[in-house]
Amino acid sequence: MEALSVDIGRLKSGEVNLGTSIMAVQFKDGVIIGADSRTTTGAYIANRVTDKLTYVHDRIYCCRSGSAADTQAVADIVHYYLQMYKQHMGREPSVHTAASLFQNICYQNKDALSAGIIVAGWDKEDGPSVYNIPLGGGIFRQPWAIGGSGSTYVYGYCDATYQEGWGKDETIEFVKNTLSLAMARDGSSGGVIRMCVITEGGVERLFVPGDRLPKFWQGQEVIGKTFKAAADTEMIVEG
Amino acid sequence: MAAAATVYNPVGFDFSNQIRNNFLADRGIPLPKATSTGTTIVGCLFKDGIVLGADTRATEGEIVADKNCEKIHYITESIRCCGAGTAADTEFTTAMISSNMELHALSTGRKPRVVTAMTMLKQYLFRYQGHVGAALVLGGVDATGPHLFTIHPHGSTDKLPYVTMGSGSLAAMAVFEAQWKPSMTREEALDLVNAAISAGIFNDLGSGSNVDACVITATKTDMLRNFVKPNERVTKERTYGFRRGTTAFTKEEIRNLVVHEEIIGVRDDAMDVDGS
Amino acid sequence: MPQTRSFDPYTENGGTILAIAGQDFSVIAGDTRQSEGYSIQTRYAPKVFRLTDRAVLAVNGFAADGNMFVKKVKQRLEWYRHAHAKDMPLRAIARLIQTMLYAKRFFPYYVYNILGGIEEDGTGAVYSFDPVGSYEREACRAAGAAQSLVQPFLDNQIYFKNQVPAPGTTHPAYLSLPDVLSIVIDSFTSATERHIEVGDGLEIYIVFAKTRDLQDFETIRAKNVHLIQELTVAEDGERIFVLRRDLKKD
Repeated sequence: MEALSVDIGRLKSGEVNLGTSIMAVQFKDGVIIGADSRTTTGAYIANRVTDKLTYVHDRIYCCRSGSAADTQAVADIVHYYLQMYKQHMGREPSVHTAASLFQNICYQNKDALSAGIIVAGWDKEDGPSVYNIPLGGGIFRQPWAIGGSGSTYVYGYCDATYQEGWGKDETIEFVKNTLSLAMARDGSSGGVIRMCVITEGGVERLFVPGDRLPKFWQGQEVIGKTFKAAADTEMIVEG
Repeated sequence: MAAAATVYNPVGFDFSNQIRNNFLADRGIPLPKATSTGTTIVGCLFKDGIVLGADTRATEGEIVADKNCEKIHYITESIRCCGAGTAADTEFTTAMISSNMELHALSTGRKPRVVTAMTMLKQYLFRYQGHVGAALVLGGVDATGPHLFTIHPHGSTDKLPYVTMGSGSLAAMAVFEAQWKPSMTREEALDLVNAAISAGIFNDLGSGSNVDACVITATKTDMLRNFVKPNERVTKERTYGFRRGTTAFTKEEIRNLVVHEEIIGVRDDAMDVDGS
Repeated sequence: MPQTRSFDPYTENGGTILAIAGQDFSVIAGDTRQSEGYSIQTRYAPKVFRLTDRAVLAVNGFAADGNMFVKKVKQRLEWYRHAHAKDMPLRAIARLIQTMLYAKRFFPYYVYNILGGIEEDGTGAVYSFDPVGSYEREACRAAGAAQSLVQPFLDNQIYFKNQVPAPGTTHPAYLSLPDVLSIVIDSFTSATERHIEVGDGLEIYIVFAKTRDLQDFETIRAKNVHLIQELTVAEDGERIFVLRRDLKKD
């Protein structure tokens, strides 16, 4: 718990912060990763449509939280290593390999970095997998992982809701609802929800605009007398 | 151990003056203040390319150091970069990347891409962990189309259709958020950039004087230096000439700087030129 | 972690004021920009106030303290009128301001005051104060954000510092009204060019001794009818005018 939350004090003054709610969930055929889109410098939103879901290989993505500069630099290095891996070995790197590279960099530079990263993807060896690499540079394989400052609000929801054996659609709903709840409570998270569905067949990007987020209880004076079910909200499939 | 420390010459940065500087700061002798471009800089995507914009005020604290400085720096013919933050850092960083981009173009034989400049800038700034105080707006058009980035001093980057940076970034972003729309014409984009920079010039004390703009398309780059000049200096009520002899002096000394030389011939006959 | 609480009730709101005394008139001026940090709070916040027909007070520093201080000085002058059936003389106002400032020696009004006007003997006068009440009568004074830019200019142009007079001549002891007004305007347009906290508008108060011939002023007034407003209340006493001009807004 302590290690998962981003320690704002570690950021240098004026540093761009990914306040962030990020998430990755494993399901039968692949993984769903998701993130909010807010980056802040102090109280100012420097980017309201940020893409925190970062490509590191064809079937491996990472979700970034903490310092924008640090996580981008680490992701760029891992991206480079995985390209070199493919060329040298002549095969796709596994998610575990990618996660280990992230873990190594985060552990060995723990004094200089504030980066909380979730690595997720699909490979031939293990199928779908999710690795959580929190602040100190540990590595934990989990069926689902949440991260960033917003995640502290939704551990209970995830524990109570997650079940093994879900399909793609149920998992998408779970990610979407969890991130909406986190973004509603956390001031450093917000904007839109971006998601990726990573399966053997490819990567599908999903996008939920800020005015189409699932709504939960907000007080009757806000949403009116009729309860608007979360399932009513629409979703746009990109490209 | 102490003796070993004095002879040991570590690889990398030398922070030993940090102790001395902190000591001096504690004694009330702060470090010299760097000229900062307390700035408004913007970039904006339009139908055929990118428009960059900047104000022209440079400040040292609350004093205006330069009323008409250039903040849109050359990277390559079709890539330009606006700088905010420490003036020396933005100028040196962009000049160095410009040089490296030229070498890169020469060695690859291709027109360099905007992402290349962006990657070089972010890796350089990340290496200095924010101590190189350059906040940049990078824009240009390459083989893959128009691109617009912001680069923060710590090395993080964002790719967006409209961006602002510097102390006037909030004023300028308010204009963009209210008026920007996709696929504008060149004229619409220039008007919008002018409005955004003007918002910074008039509402942010760190920004002022004129509007510089730069329009980059696939075929041509137009640097519109002093595109709008809304702050011309008013004429003075009086003229301040001083009568010759106004300044007092304690002594007068006039030295003759013309050198006189007398040449005396050694021999009467003509100089021996053929060496025989 | 030890926790500390700090109480910091002061802010600096920028701007500059200045005053110049003539032989039988006094000019008191200030810009109208009020700022905090890099933001403009308002482009029109007066810093120069008419106290009586022969006294004008300019306040600069922390605006909230300045406004409250002027309010309290005006209240004391009102009480004086009720008690003595006349306006307080300028030198008495100066001493009043000293005691009012020193009364708050250990929680001062964070304000630099310049008082200008006409003395009982009919001479133009300028009094300048520090925040805790130290004051002196001078011929000219600049204060505020651009003091370090304007005061040396005034020393050179009003006191003729570093200027040797032409052989057989001396510098004038007092400058004419048109000269003084030009120097005031040029001081502010120049400070606006080089100081980020100075700009937007300029208010120049002009106070004339009751015996003074206003012919030179009427010439200026005729050319700037829309800029000049008369504020005189009492008949056949000192006369007081305000001249308002634009300054650059960047």
